Amino acid sequence: MSDVLTGIEQPADEEAARGAPRGSGAVRFLLGKLGSALLSLALVVVLGFLLFRMIPGDPVVTMTRGRPVSPEQLAELRERLGVDKPMWQQFVDYIGGLLRGDLGTSYLFQRPVADLLTERLGPTLLLVGTATLLAIVLGLWFGIRSAWRRNSRFDKVSTGTALTLWSMPQFWLGLLLLIAFAGVFPSGGMRYSDTPPDVFSQTLDVAYHLVLPCLTLTAAVYAQYLLVMRSSLLEEMNAEYLTTARAKGLRDDLVRRRHAVPNALLPTVTLVFLQFGMVLNGAVAVETVYSWPGLGLLTYEALSGPDLPVLQGAFLVLAAAVILMNVLADLLYRVLDPRVRAT
Amino acid sequence: MTENPGTDGAVLLELRELSVRYRAARDELPAVRGVNLRLGAGETLGLAGESGCGKSTLAMSVLRLLPRSARVDGQVLLDGEDVAAMRWGRLRAVRWASASVVFQGAMHALNPVRKVYDQIAEPILLHDSDQRPDEPPAVRHRVHELLDQVELPAGKAEAFPHELSGGQKQRVMIAMALACDPRLVIADEPTTALDVIVQAQVLELMSRLVAEHHIGLIMISHDLSVLASTCQHIAVMYDGEIVERAPSEQLMRAPQHAHSKALAAAFPTIGDPASRFAPATSNPLPEQPSERPVGEPVLRTEELRVSFRARGGRTVRAVDGVDLEVGENEIVALVGQSGSGKTTLARTLLGLQRAESGRVLFRGTPLPTSTSGLRDYRRQVQLVLQDPTSALNPRHSVYEAVAEGPRIHGLTTDEIGRVTRALEAAELRPAERFMSALPHELSGGQKQRVVIAGALALEPAVLVADEPVASLDASVRGEILALLLRLRIELGLSALVITHDLGLAWNIADRVAVMYRGELVEVGTVEDVLLDPRHEYTRSLLAAVPGGTHRAEPANGLRH
Repeated sequence: MSDVLTGIEQPADEEAARGAPRGSGAVRFLLGKLGSALLSLALVVVLGFLLFRMIPGDPVVTMTRGRPVSPEQLAELRERLGVDKPMWQQFVDYIGGLLRGDLGTSYLFQRPVADLLTERLGPTLLLVGTATLLAIVLGLWFGIRSAWRRNSRFDKVSTGTALTLWSMPQFWLGLLLLIAFAGVFPSGGMRYSDTPPDVFSQTLDVAYHLVLPCLTLTAAVYAQYLLVMRSSLLEEMNAEYLTTARAKGLRDDLVRRRHAVPNALLPTVTLVFLQFGMVLNGAVAVETVYSWPGLGLLTYEALSGPDLPVLQGAFLVLAAAVILMNVLADLLYRVLDPRVRAT
Repeated sequence: MTENPGTDGAVLLELRELSVRYRAARDELPAVRGVNLRLGAGETLGLAGESGCGKSTLAMSVLRLLPRSARVDGQVLLDGEDVAAMRWGRLRAVRWASASVVFQGAMHALNPVRKVYDQIAEPILLHDSDQRPDEPPAVRHRVHELLDQVELPAGKAEAFPHELSGGQKQRVMIAMALACDPRLVIADEPTTALDVIVQAQVLELMSRLVAEHHIGLIMISHDLSVLASTCQHIAVMYDGEIVERAPSEQLMRAPQHAHSKALAAAFPTIGDPASRFAPATSNPLPEQPSERPVGEPVLRTEELRVSFRARGGRTVRAVDGVDLEVGENEIVALVGQSGSGKTTLARTLLGLQRAESGRVLFRGTPLPTSTSGLRDYRRQVQLVLQDPTSALNPRHSVYEAVAEGPRIHGLTTDEIGRVTRALEAAELRPAERFMSALPHELSGGQKQRVVIAGALALEPAVLVADEPVASLDASVRGEILALLLRLRIELGLSALVITHDLGLAWNIADRVAVMYRGELVEVGTVEDVLLDPRHEYTRSLLAAVPGGTHRAEPANGLRH
């Protein structure tokens, strides 16, 4: 009897399908993701171009506001900026410049936009990177413990705090902290002008200036991570494999660390990366409040113009960052979840 | 297996006046009431009962794995030591080393993101102080040995759970349970989610390993025949109490308690004339007219083929040249194990899946391809799904659920009358009592009746039912089958019932079609196919039925 049965249990072709080489699948997956990321980026370029052309207001008029100018001078300025050409011509020029790494010239700063963006990217990376890392560590740590001891006092306090911070407008929280810590921490900028030029003093000075902006951004962002981690761990709390783990005699913290958290991380990772746009959003507010010389502040300054080339460039960089984060999320998910690897 | 279990005198597990209550919103719900139980070393005991009778709670209380809301009274003595009095450290040491568990859904009981090797090795590293973590070769050897015992190749150690079939997962679970050489294994519905042939293999494997290692076994199931094929004794639980305990053969042959009788009757013995066209039901069935009109085929397929594009561009043919007929006033059972293409065939019959070639004919006309044509067609051919809980929208009342179909088809006149008639035809009487109920207020059997009423509201000519009783309790199973049979007798409703359960076919079907790898290997009357199978696959399906057919010895083939 058993001979007949074993012959039937597992259809052989199903086995063969699973034995397909994983390597080629991974490469195809990567290429597919990169391809769709590039497509998104191309759409962002087009959208950015159109969007900033639709903003009401003549840039030439804005630039010359308050100064006596003759119509001839206005026409000359128009020609220099290229805004007198038809839309399609402007677009072709824009794309051509983009391919050469030329993002145009800022109306306000009278400097190449590419230079401005590169200069301001560093401070923003420092601020957003530090705050995001801190927020992830804090959010996951508190989220995991809140879920594990659901409805305990710890859970209520940590979730309550997180919700309060989350619901505060970031600029308002920034201003509050600014007032509260006036005198303790610097109120703006990234470094004092009189700091000695050696690396050590400079680093310390930047770190000193970083404290408040970073705190504000972290406070605003970690709450989301906490809530997401908490709810995805709660989803896993009744999973049967946790009963298996307990039945094996594992300590409670091992059940959590080895079995529950790796599974709960899956939705969390996706959301953490998808929320990156929100972090950038927060960065604009925080950089403005603390005059942190990053892309956010640059964007804010450019808005007052409006300095269209700068806005367009900043839009491109920020959108590219969000797209990049999405690709990273997909890749990381593949590492974390073997089930995704199989498809 | 020894003739007289427990001859070595050692008591492995003893429950004394065990009661478990769950704290609910206001009051306490008793789950287990004053159970006394003894299990000797190497003894095997089956625990039978329907869902909610407390059998799983009882089993989980042995290792104190109950949720926090549970209050336990009485004693659980494992090797003479009271589990309730153990400190956490001692309890953790006892868990898995003295007693381990094979959980019901191996699919969910294994951690989806960890490799099989890690999951089997985990308790070994935890409990075996000789195996320090820096000695992986010894652990690896042990894991491979365990996989070999459950007849899996060593290579499966590197697999993730989703890469294994249901049977393989359950084998991994068993290997895991044996990892620390426990003296007691608790198996909670170990084969419920598996199909017949895999179930037979897993049961055989468990019986062999338990006997070889002289392990005490408590196996929980709602299916008496499964227990009878594996365990020496069976205890029947009802409403938190053990109502009967007897040697398996005796309990199967002459159950004493009314509830044991009901459980025994729920799964018919194939070949037993008493259960032919007589599912276990409390309402008597109407007389069968002695002469049945031989009707035209209502639903017919001609050389039907359906393929899917699999990963890597290969084509998998799920349905391969099927000719099937469902006649007027006839119930046809389509049987086969999971993956045989039964459900694909059903979907194609309903026009939910496009056929690659061949035709589906309804009363001689091919299946329409236009949207409106398909809609009219589906009014005639209705689908009943396996799990009523997921088939019903939890926020729609019974009335809404039943009235939805007629509304889609524009049958708006006398909606209340139509819904009432459908509910009453599905034996939800009086219909008014059920109309405003929400699904969660109904029992499993009532929910399935609502699903059937939803189909009946359109006054269809054919019902296609996909495993209509697989997710229901034993006592409800008979009632739903009786309903299908009654609908056939009273309304002349034809039905195609898809099932892996040959007993169902014996209970209600006129003809059986056996499907294997996309092909119909055998079609004929129930008596011809099930009592005199011609195809080897039909024979192996029949051999896998626990308890066997009428002429076979119970548990034949499971004892060597």
